[in-house]
Amino acid sequence: MRRFAVGVALVAVLVAASKAIPEPDLTAADADRTNAPAASLRRAATGVPPPASPAFSVGEPRLLEHAETTGRYAPVVNPVAAVESPRPDADPVVSLLPTTDEGTDNVVLVLGETRRKGRSWVHVRLPVLPNGRTAWMPRSALGGYRFVRTRLVVDRARLRATLFEAGRSVFSAPIGVGTAAAPTPAGEFYVRLKLAGFDNPFYGPVAFGTSARSAVLTDWPGGGYIGIHGTNAPELLPGRVSHGCVRMRNEDIVELGRLMPVGTPLTIL
Amino acid sequence: MTHDHVADRAAEELAATLADVDSDGALQETAALAFPETRGGFLRRSLALLSGLGTAGVLASQSRAAPGLTKNDVAILRFDLVLEYLQAGLYTEAERLGELTPETLAWARVVGAHERAHVQALKGLLGRNVVPSPSFNYRGVTSDEQAFTKTAVAFEDLTAALLKWQAVRLDSRAVVAAAVTLHSVETRHAAWIRHEVGLAPVTSAFDEPASQERMARLIASTRFVTSPARTVASGRPRFTG
Repeated sequence: MRRFAVGVALVAVLVAASKAIPEPDLTAADADRTNAPAASLRRAATGVPPPASPAFSVGEPRLLEHAETTGRYAPVVNPVAAVESPRPDADPVVSLLPTTDEGTDNVVLVLGETRRKGRSWVHVRLPVLPNGRTAWMPRSALGGYRFVRTRLVVDRARLRATLFEAGRSVFSAPIGVGTAAAPTPAGEFYVRLKLAGFDNPFYGPVAFGTSARSAVLTDWPGGGYIGIHGTNAPELLPGRVSHGCVRMRNEDIVELGRLMPVGTPLTIL
Repeated sequence: MTHDHVADRAAEELAATLADVDSDGALQETAALAFPETRGGFLRRSLALLSGLGTAGVLASQSRAAPGLTKNDVAILRFDLVLEYLQAGLYTEAERLGELTPETLAWARVVGAHERAHVQALKGLLGRNVVPSPSFNYRGVTSDEQAFTKTAVAFEDLTAALLKWQAVRLDSRAVVAAAVTLHSVETRHAAWIRHEVGLAPVTSAFDEPASQERMARLIASTRFVTSPARTVASGRPRFTG
């Protein structure tokens, strides 16, 4: 019986509330006189303090475009054997350490990723001979991915280097490349590290280390890595004048140093 | 092991993580607020030991409040900014890798765009008090369907809970007004992702807040925050020339 009474009262309140919606030709005062619940709500609403303006507003969300990245790289964080295929028992290709001889983190260009038996494997380009070598390593041996939007193309025939960002040319300069006896190797590589603040005019103010290696100067100190650097003999450029490195005028290498991040894929034609 | 021992171990892990990335002491300040009582002292000592920065550095950092913001609000907003960096990075990396299913990438793209917008909004508010983004290593999560969705659900749920915890601790009504606009979006993210992966979008009539301490522990436990790769040096080149 008591539930029935509560139900009746509830229906009565709902009916009263439905009548609280004022007719278009009624004033608010008219509505208040005819409907006590609506008047009570109106009084409660007017007691609220004025709102604070939000300290910030969130702008329009922007979706990514996949074309924004041209490559990704990651540092080696544990000594690791890169192997032929994504299996723990695959043949080793080379052992990699977390740091380079120059004191930077040893980064590898990431080409892809796969999962085998619950374990993540990463396909990487290696800084070893023969040039262009790729291999696999466990994802756990690498640090966080970094992404780049740039690509450097070194054209040995035209003696020119061009940097592209998101597919658009943003830098181009004449270069010196290797002689016939010590050629600059062709292929797909990446920029491994950047050196600046050293005191050696032969290399200019900035030098990039790449994953490319001379196939003939294998006993060169440091392993015969191909660099991209400045010069103290700009009058020789453009030309086939180096031991395999890519030389630029100092003003050009400084500009490239500003534009090109480590991890940039490098194509030598 | 007692609760305090577990908490201290978590604090120690967090201290080690933060010491790697805390270039200007901003995160020390945030972490000290996140661990306000006895463990706060432990954390501060650990951070000072690990990073070589002492209390003076923390106080100097605290004195640079943005115009119109209290030090307390700046510290809370900095914590939120790091969290937004972390979330934005998670979705952005997943999208860039493109290894997840099209269904998952469809919502990850939208949520990622929202999180990046949150980052920009918080940076704009903090001005020169901005915390620089740490580096992140998502350890394969961004290319693993199950791990990614679990991580996304955990972050969105906890972020919504964290904002509830922070809202009643903010000094400025204007910041509260802005924070609630983020809060409702984070709760929608949580419900959306939960629905997409087959979980109940809502599990209770009332949501509990989650403290900064709890969020800090979650971040530390993921080991997603790392040192940036060192790619520049000043040594003498030894290239072939």
